[in-house]
Amino acid sequence: MNIKWKNKTFITYGLILLSMVLSILFVQNNFYLYDKPIAEVIETTVTDEEETVDSLSNTDQVIDQTVIGEIKNGDHKGQRILMENQYSESGAADHEYQMGDKIFVSIQNDEGTHLTGNIEGAKRDTFIVVAAWLFIVTVLWVGKKSGLYSLISLVVNVLVLMLAMNYYTEGEDVNLFWICSGLVLFFTVFSLLLVSGNNKKTHAAILATVAGTFSSLLIAYAVIKLTAGEGLRYEEMAFITRNPQSVFLASLLVGSLGAAMDIAITITSSLYELTEKNQAIALKDLKTSGREIGKDIMGTMSNVLFFAYVSGSIPMILLYLKNGMAVNYTLSMNLSLELTRALVGSIGIVLTIPISIYTAIYFIRKGRVIK
Amino acid sequence: MNVLILLALILFVLMKVIGGEKGTRSFLALFFNFGIMLVTIILMTDQAINPILLTIIACILISCINLFYINQFNFKSLTAFVSTILTLILLIFAVFVLVEKSKIQGFGIEEIEELLSFSFYVGIDFGDIIICTIIMGTIGAITDTAISISSAMNEIYFHNPTLDRYQLFKSGMTVGKDILGTTTNTLFFAFIGGYLALIIWFKDLGYSLGEVLNSKVFASEAMSIFYTGTGAILIIPITAWLSAYSMVKYKDKVRSGEAE
Repeated sequence: MNIKWKNKTFITYGLILLSMVLSILFVQNNFYLYDKPIAEVIETTVTDEEETVDSLSNTDQVIDQTVIGEIKNGDHKGQRILMENQYSESGAADHEYQMGDKIFVSIQNDEGTHLTGNIEGAKRDTFIVVAAWLFIVTVLWVGKKSGLYSLISLVVNVLVLMLAMNYYTEGEDVNLFWICSGLVLFFTVFSLLLVSGNNKKTHAAILATVAGTFSSLLIAYAVIKLTAGEGLRYEEMAFITRNPQSVFLASLLVGSLGAAMDIAITITSSLYELTEKNQAIALKDLKTSGREIGKDIMGTMSNVLFFAYVSGSIPMILLYLKNGMAVNYTLSMNLSLELTRALVGSIGIVLTIPISIYTAIYFIRKGRVIK
Repeated sequence: MNVLILLALILFVLMKVIGGEKGTRSFLALFFNFGIMLVTIILMTDQAINPILLTIIACILISCINLFYINQFNFKSLTAFVSTILTLILLIFAVFVLVEKSKIQGFGIEEIEELLSFSFYVGIDFGDIIICTIIMGTIGAITDTAISISSAMNEIYFHNPTLDRYQLFKSGMTVGKDILGTTTNTLFFAFIGGYLALIIWFKDLGYSLGEVLNSKVFASEAMSIFYTGTGAILIIPITAWLSAYSMVKYKDKVRSGEAE
């Protein structure tokens, strides 16, 4: 029995390792999938090096390099291409290229012995796959079967999100808010059923999550209406093709969901655990225990959201400050939306605590009456 | 009134009503952390200071606030603190090696177009900054998981003092498995919420899958999610191991110094 089990784990680990190696090899050699020409850098030479000082006396080193690459796909496969590149030490908007780097190029001149062209950008798909595998391996190693379930739930959620966004961007007159509400329902039901099975406990957690998420959004909406959105800098949303306010509200809804789910499942399972250990436990005691647990988790949970949202703005804030922008202006331009997200998410966390306690107690009481 | 101030006020009232004194502490902790982050960013503009070193110091301060201020100084929070530091160091190495080659530092073409009047030769190494960004994004999730596991194991050991190190480690890992799914969910949805606009933007502008995958904006986001997730999970075995080791070693300290 034991040997059989060990064999099975061995095979499982073998399969994971194999698919990891194969997929990394694949993305390293998938040049034929791209229409744009790709070159592998085989030689670089520095042609010029210069110190620059900008109007705010920031000093930097700007370097010119000649890059010779070998085309890996298309009509010119195997030919050499000569390109110029300029990069700086800080690398805010440019890159130094080294031997072995794979880059997208555009071919300008194909007469003569050498091709010449421009560098369009780095090929980054390999690194995404490597990072993804690092995550997958860690999840499976630590979580085993429950790790696998959370991976499945993440993958399905991403696919459903992509489908919904396809539907939204291609359809006319489709309301983003309703799509995201539908998504929230689906994500909650699917993720929680997968994590803790189809039972009363899960149903209570689903109800609490949905109620918590939507009430936090309601508060956010009321606040934005009441203050006429003062202090929100929608122009900060660099990537926007739609009405910024509706995209922002939809993003608040999705963003608060995960944390609300976390709180709902933690509190509901603990309360069910307590009733299982002690069938006769008074509902009042359950309420107190639920609140104790809630107190313990709300502080660190709101910090999870805070850092996840705010840290992404660090590079942009630095660029603003280095360009001599006032601290006040920089922060309001770069953080107003992120801080709002973190605050609304935290409100969702705190609201979900009492909501989960009452839904769980309601379900537990109903279960007792039936018995 | 300003949206942010009103929301902060609502959050404070809710935290105080539902969490009592600990709720107030949780709210203040958010403020202190914000302050530490701002000071860190402002210090980063000084070329003479190494930004990664600065981030490590900031993360240590933030862990102190999250663990010792919100949860008070005791055996549980001390174990969680040491585990947090170990995980941070491990994560910095992993990220350092991997980010170096992937060319995701700085800003994407799409962002640069909006900032044409800006100077980009500002003398800060954005290759270091992206590492700082990833590490900072993880610190909240790491401390959260660390304290959850160490306090759960503390309870388990208190109720079953005969457990040996291996059994204790095993039950810590069982607790960790439950946390794993919900933590990855929290981070995942937070990121999706943050980048919903970007997803719609890619679709509206008709980017092909290949263009999306290789663009700097998407690649740096995707990699941040994966590294942050890895850090938030890596803390599980580290805390479980460290708790099992130290709880058995310092038996008498378990559950002592607890105010509750």
